[in-house]
Amino acid sequence: MNINSPIIDFKQVCFSFSDDRFLFKDLSLAVESGSFNLIKGPSGIGKSSLLKLINRIHDPQAGEIHFKGKPLETYQPQLLRRQVLYVQQTPLVSIGSVKDNLLLPFLFKANHDLTKPDDIRLEKLLAEFYLDRINLNDSALNLSVGQQQRICFIRGLLLSPDVILLDEPTSALDEESSRIVDASAARLCRVSGKTVIMVSHKNLNANDIKPRILKLENGKIRET
Amino acid sequence: MQTAVVDIGWVQLCFGLFFILIAGLASFFQALGLERKLLIGTVRTFAQLFLMGYILKFIFAINNAWLVILIFVFMIFFASRTIYKSVDEKQVSFFFPTFLSMLISFFFVAILVTSVIVDVAPWWKPQYFIPLGGMVIGNSMNAIALALERLLSGLRARRQEVEMMLCHGADYKEASREILREAMKAGMIPSINSMMAVGIVFIPGMMTGQIIAGADPITAIKYQIVVMIMLVGSTTIATLLIVLIVRRLCFSSGQQLLLRPQYK
Repeated sequence: MNINSPIIDFKQVCFSFSDDRFLFKDLSLAVESGSFNLIKGPSGIGKSSLLKLINRIHDPQAGEIHFKGKPLETYQPQLLRRQVLYVQQTPLVSIGSVKDNLLLPFLFKANHDLTKPDDIRLEKLLAEFYLDRINLNDSALNLSVGQQQRICFIRGLLLSPDVILLDEPTSALDEESSRIVDASAARLCRVSGKTVIMVSHKNLNANDIKPRILKLENGKIRET
Repeated sequence: MQTAVVDIGWVQLCFGLFFILIAGLASFFQALGLERKLLIGTVRTFAQLFLMGYILKFIFAINNAWLVILIFVFMIFFASRTIYKSVDEKQVSFFFPTFLSMLISFFFVAILVTSVIVDVAPWWKPQYFIPLGGMVIGNSMNAIALALERLLSGLRARRQEVEMMLCHGADYKEASREILREAMKAGMIPSINSMMAVGIVFIPGMMTGQIIAGADPITAIKYQIVVMIMLVGSTTIATLLIVLIVRRLCFSSGQQLLLRPQYK
């Protein structure tokens, strides 16, 4: 990959769920490595679908999307998704402890080459996300929505992705939890050099980073 | 113990329609609107069963292996079609996988039972192969439809969960493992439950028929046990094959869940 080439590059992408209505038509977008991108737009415009095109949960009908200079189809889907991590809008935790939920991705075959983090590392990460009062053996289902959202965030980070796709991560959170999630995302970009693409109706609640704001409308995207 | 079967005379058989008359009157006076259906159902029962009787007489007389196999394939085809119609699914075309899975499992189980357990020679002897195989097909249909319905509705209802796992590096098998298990269980539980209740809650049709025909109750019981075991085996094999194939059809080679919400 050329040092100046974007980490993610949409080239005239068309996408629709049905034949008669395109969500995106000839959409082009370049995302620089290590940048923080905030995507805005009205409900139903396709913000989540745009993120899901980047990790190939959906495929476009026309056009190409490149990751690190190569078309997405050239990557094995499981390995691509590990590098381009998507965190869902609704936190999804299952029956079991916080630790079980955090280590869920390590049960999958494609991730067997990764080193499973020990309890000390997990506790350190919990503390970074202001969850230090939570025990690894606590039931994940008993946590608040804000806490569960942060657990989901940490679960993804354990895979050491290069790109983090956050789908309205603060929509169901209170002010305090939103601030923590926004600050954590900003820190990952600023300190760890991760590329962040966040979809949100709200402004970013973090002072240490100035996001690139993109507006999605009429099937196209424009920078504001 | 083998006594002659008391035949039912034509007039006596028509007396049986008295029960249909009761049902029809109940429907009429309670304004249930079932009279037409009741009439069609009665006519079909008479027509289909008599037709089957004559076909069986013909097959028994011809005594030809290919004809027996052809009839069995036709029965499986019809059962697959019934399942296909009963599961309301517009996105995944599952008719052929269902037909193929039923064909493999039912032939395997039926041949094994007639040739090894009942020990009939030849294995396709129509008097044994068609009734035993037919009972298995008829009784497995609901179980297979149930498993398919559970698989497809589970994948739709738990789409977010499936996609969450895919997003964390799971392949389609890992992401849908739990849903597959539930579908398998839904398909297998009815035949296991039948084994629990048989002889206590109900006396099965085959056993009743043999006893009326004058067979020794112990012989009738042995046949019934064989049928129950066949049912568990064929349901398990058919359900497993069908859910594995249909699950594969629900995902793309890019490990994407293809099923979308389905509106009626």
